[in-house]
Amino acid sequence: MAEIYTVFNTEEDIITDINQTISSGLWSGGVGTLQTMHTSSTQSGSSGKYFYDVYKTNPSSDSEAEVQFSMAFGHLDGSGSAGILGTSYTDRPSAAVYSQFRNLLLAPNDTKFTFSPSKDIKHIYAISMARARMREKVDPGNWELHLSSSAGTVKLIDDSGATTDPTVSQGGRVFNVVSGSIASGTAVTNTAAASETTDGAYGLFYPDMGIMILNGQKLDQGYLALATNTASNAAHNNTGKLYNSVSASSYFVARREEQLSTTHYFCRLTNKKYNFSTNPTFFTQSDGSLTVSSMQNDPKVYMTTVGLYNDSNELLAVAKLSKPLLKSFSREAIVKVKLDF
Amino acid sequence: MGFLDNTTQTIDAILTKKGRELLARGNNEFKITKFALGDDEIDYGLYDVSHPDGTNSYGAAIENMPLLEAIPDENQIMRYKLVTLPKNTVKLPVIKLASSALTFTTANEQQIISPATTNGNDGKGGYTFILHNSNAADLFVSAGGGVEQRGGTVPVFLSDADRKRSTTVIGKVVNIVSKATTSAITTQLTIFGNDSGASQTISVTVSANS
Repeated sequence: MAEIYTVFNTEEDIITDINQTISSGLWSGGVGTLQTMHTSSTQSGSSGKYFYDVYKTNPSSDSEAEVQFSMAFGHLDGSGSAGILGTSYTDRPSAAVYSQFRNLLLAPNDTKFTFSPSKDIKHIYAISMARARMREKVDPGNWELHLSSSAGTVKLIDDSGATTDPTVSQGGRVFNVVSGSIASGTAVTNTAAASETTDGAYGLFYPDMGIMILNGQKLDQGYLALATNTASNAAHNNTGKLYNSVSASSYFVARREEQLSTTHYFCRLTNKKYNFSTNPTFFTQSDGSLTVSSMQNDPKVYMTTVGLYNDSNELLAVAKLSKPLLKSFSREAIVKVKLDF
Repeated sequence: MGFLDNTTQTIDAILTKKGRELLARGNNEFKITKFALGDDEIDYGLYDVSHPDGTNSYGAAIENMPLLEAIPDENQIMRYKLVTLPKNTVKLPVIKLASSALTFTTANEQQIISPATTNGNDGKGGYTFILHNSNAADLFVSAGGGVEQRGGTVPVFLSDADRKRSTTVIGKVVNIVSKATTSAITTQLTIFGNDSGASQTISVTVSANS
């Protein structure tokens, strides 16, 4: 009797739950280094008072330009942006941004971002990776951002390499952003977050959310001197100041990370199996005789596709070979089909 | 002395639409238990028994061809399956029908479709009957025409519009009953042998009858 399906021996043929971590460059095309940055005049003219989208290519000349990350300025009291409570204009974008990230990342009733060792800061800069770029999460310990001014460059990394038991907050794992570099292949920290006692550490990094919260007060100090304008009820384009600092450095290296669960199915094609085909070019439709007469008693078929089925013969997954594989009574083969979830 | 090739071919699978549906539904419904092989894209007319380099090169044109990537539509892939048959098989299973075309002139007219598989046997799994346009007729499994084991996704190459209108039943013998229609409908009935993998397609015509 003809057989089309082969039932897997679950003990020998199926290996389930092989977990692996896949990392790749964070930016468009799987590239790890972002060296050119652009904003969109269209976007900054509309929602720019809240955030700037940052592109790898110029969106005004490249219709397929993709957002890489967004940046925003937030102030607890709404300073640095237009709007006053109790008036007809109450947008206060910086207050909205601060509250938004606070709600997302901090515990209930925690009103301010606290930077290591224990500095509560009212104004922050947020960098949020585009979901399509980071997919599952940003790879901690494998990013480096440069901020530049005319006086010099600050190199930022996270301290995940020095943290064996990361704090897990409302926003998932959280690490400190510190000055340092990963250019040598391992993280080299210039100043540990705990030692930043004057203004607090450079920031907080939430890899599972793809968000960095940078300490505005810290960025305003030293030779970076971002000069955040926190005057009330006026738009001061502080986000633009951070963008200028980031784009002037032309250096943002980052990787993303995904957890894959893989199942392997071993399809064992012994010599007596699968040597005929229902392909209409293999046999004559009228009487079933083989179209290539020399194949009588020595049929040869060429497999191209493996279909994985359930008990109801429903095709659940399918795999194609890169080239046809000859199968005959004198040949056996094992095809391992890999299915990622 | 050279080394023997002991490698196993590894290929990446993608989920079909059906697979994604069952995976999303949960309830442990996504459970792969068996496999089948297909030779979609292969035209055995390329097997050249007159190749000057001899028998090892007869299939060169097929073996050297690149293949397309897998597509996720379970109705459009695995069109032609490989089958296991005894080595001395000289003829493949073919589905035979009493008539190569069905014609109905009135509404509620019945005809019985009782396929027979020559060179093979579909006695256990029966047949999958797919009427491409259910506006033309209904399909019913005839009394005693049921099967022990139901078939699943059988590739039939219909457009999306046609697929919405098609109707499928599984059995050994079916009744096809014409519907009332104000204009003539011509469609097709495709029959798959669920054990043998053989298939046969015939035309169905229902004349305007109301």
